Amino acid sequence: MNEKIRPFNLAVLVYMSQVGIVVFTLPRTLADYFGTNGWLILIPCFLLSGFNIYLISLVYKLGNGRSVFEIMEQSIPKPLLYPFYMGLTAVWMMFGCVIGKKYVLLFQMLAFPTTNPMLFKLMFDILAFMLITKGIYTISRAATMFFWITAWMYLLLLWVLPDFNWVRLTPFILQGGHNQFKGLLEVYGAFLGYEISILLFPYIDRRKKMMAAIQAGNAYLSVSYINLGLVSFGIFSSDQLKQLLYPLLDILAYIQFPFVERLENLLYGFFMFLVLMTVVMYWWGAVETAGRIVPRLKRQVLAFVLLAITYGISFLPKTIDEIDAWISFLGNITTGVAFGLPVLLITVLLIQKKGEKSGG
Amino acid sequence: MVNKIAGMLMLVLLLTGCSTDQRILDKLGMVQTIALDQADGDKLLVTASIPVIDPNAELKREILQAETNSVKEARLVFSRQTDLRMVSGQMRELLFGIDLAEKGLWKYVETQLRDPSVGFSVKLTVVDGKAGELLAAEHKPHADTGRYITHLLEKEAAGNNIPATTLYEFSRDYNDDGIDVIAPIVADGGSKVRVTGIALFAGDRVVMRVPVKEGLIFALCRGNLKRGEAAINLGDTIGKPEVVVFSSVTSKRKVKVHRMQDGRFKVDLYVSLQGSVLDYTGERTLREEKDRHELEKELSLSIEDKAEQLIRQMQQKKTDALGFGQYVRGRLSYKAWKAMDWRETFPEVEVDCRAKVKIKDYGKYM
Repeated sequence: MNEKIRPFNLAVLVYMSQVGIVVFTLPRTLADYFGTNGWLILIPCFLLSGFNIYLISLVYKLGNGRSVFEIMEQSIPKPLLYPFYMGLTAVWMMFGCVIGKKYVLLFQMLAFPTTNPMLFKLMFDILAFMLITKGIYTISRAATMFFWITAWMYLLLLWVLPDFNWVRLTPFILQGGHNQFKGLLEVYGAFLGYEISILLFPYIDRRKKMMAAIQAGNAYLSVSYINLGLVSFGIFSSDQLKQLLYPLLDILAYIQFPFVERLENLLYGFFMFLVLMTVVMYWWGAVETAGRIVPRLKRQVLAFVLLAITYGISFLPKTIDEIDAWISFLGNITTGVAFGLPVLLITVLLIQKKGEKSGG
Repeated sequence: MVNKIAGMLMLVLLLTGCSTDQRILDKLGMVQTIALDQADGDKLLVTASIPVIDPNAELKREILQAETNSVKEARLVFSRQTDLRMVSGQMRELLFGIDLAEKGLWKYVETQLRDPSVGFSVKLTVVDGKAGELLAAEHKPHADTGRYITHLLEKEAAGNNIPATTLYEFSRDYNDDGIDVIAPIVADGGSKVRVTGIALFAGDRVVMRVPVKEGLIFALCRGNLKRGEAAINLGDTIGKPEVVVFSSVTSKRKVKVHRMQDGRFKVDLYVSLQGSVLDYTGERTLREEKDRHELEKELSLSIEDKAEQLIRQMQQKKTDALGFGQYVRGRLSYKAWKAMDWRETFPEVEVDCRAKVKIKDYGKYM
């Protein structure tokens, strides 16, 4: 725990916790809600998440790098704070849980149609558990390793480039969509994950440009999303994209070699690293938060109990549609938390500063 | 300790977990080609070809046939006829009988798109006649007709003359309001399978055929060529046919759209191609630069003429297989485009084709 996370590892960690299961549906969401050239909406989302990270870095600066829990506990009475912690724990635990379950259900649809998905979920959770109990430094190192294992997959987009045609993009900007606000929330869900970095303050090196690293992680994610969006709109016609439930899977399925085709089963396995990191970061955040309520309890035991509870709850949603409903509901709350928490902390910090001045 | 127990638990799970989804290669019937035909009533005649893996087997493939209401239902019928477990994960080719293709294909394509085990790269081909009969027939020396057709079309597509159409391209162009679908046509030619042309669709129905000898003209008008081959007939001006055989043809196409004063659209189609002349049966000598230039001009005129004729036919059949709609769309506002019925407007568009031919070389002999 003494070792601090370095800027590069932090950038990778942020990126890895952002990119998750949503990437499979993202191009479709863009086409469905925003119509022609829907990928453009990713740019405001990028700016918005950048602004959100700026808020987080303000908290870091104003609080002199103190842990956000310390900041809150200094000014807010515990009876008020504990329900809030519990809420945070619940939301983050459940969000991670449904993301994991969605991955498992998709995997099952592709490769193992009749095997019980909860078996895969169990294995997934065991992996996550082992990572969480190792602490954030190890998680960040694992994230870096997973990043290098999966980074080459962007090159696969080159494979479909011969089918890219600018004409298919059409000159129309965001025409033919519907329900844009709901769509915006859903698209923004693809950027979530960076907000967990607000819990990382005690674990990062204060001398280095850590906040820039978080921005860099987010920027890398945005660039790769915009890439994927642009390519999807250029190789699929706009109405076709609306009908593809998982455009990324179709892109992967289109890649073929003379001796074997339909590699998506194999490639889908690589996405586990991305989804696993997202889930691990949310769960790690939840365990950290819950740890403030029961500081005496060993972290391993706490993580085990929390994971067992959510595993139980994850039996409830059985179909992909149910899972999607849960993901978008919990995603909206998480978006609220992502903006609300830094704003709350900044307010608390400003009040504390004022108090210090008038007191001193 | 905790980790060790977890590790052991995982191993046990791995060993027992997927018993219901186990797949043993020898016991799988990996459908390679499916042929669909119109049967009596509204039923569908489904023919499937499965390669036999056993090296000692006399036959290299197994043919299964069933009359059902849906393609996927046929799979259930098939599995009652064979000792293999039917899977469609390695399917390469879908053949449609012409009867079916003239009635509409989208619902059959849609079921394939829905199936998570079917990839986007499955090829779609129209058969002039009964698709099932073509697939079931023997074409020596090719042991497996399905694979033979796949390779034949792959080769033709590589030469750019007859485009191969995949599930991806079919669904992409079907769902695009500015272009229509195309697909290759094959027919049983006795001992051989012959590629006979290109089927042009309006929506999901075949409405027109481009014969194979105009395949190159069509390909030139539809997109860029990288490696084509062509024989262009300049007509009987000297008492015998004057033919130029081109190889290594590369071409570029450009589309420009104008709006004329009466509100109609005018499409300028620019085609420029380069190639080596392999054979020429006319009166001119290829070594004279002047003669070559004249020949280039004549070729250009001939291509322009044939292209315009082809496009006029397409306009009569209301199929915009060249995708002019995509460019017209680019000139309009979203509202105006949506308000216009492109299929009805397309026949009124004035198309002007301008070709530019360059003879890169004429081989190694004067």
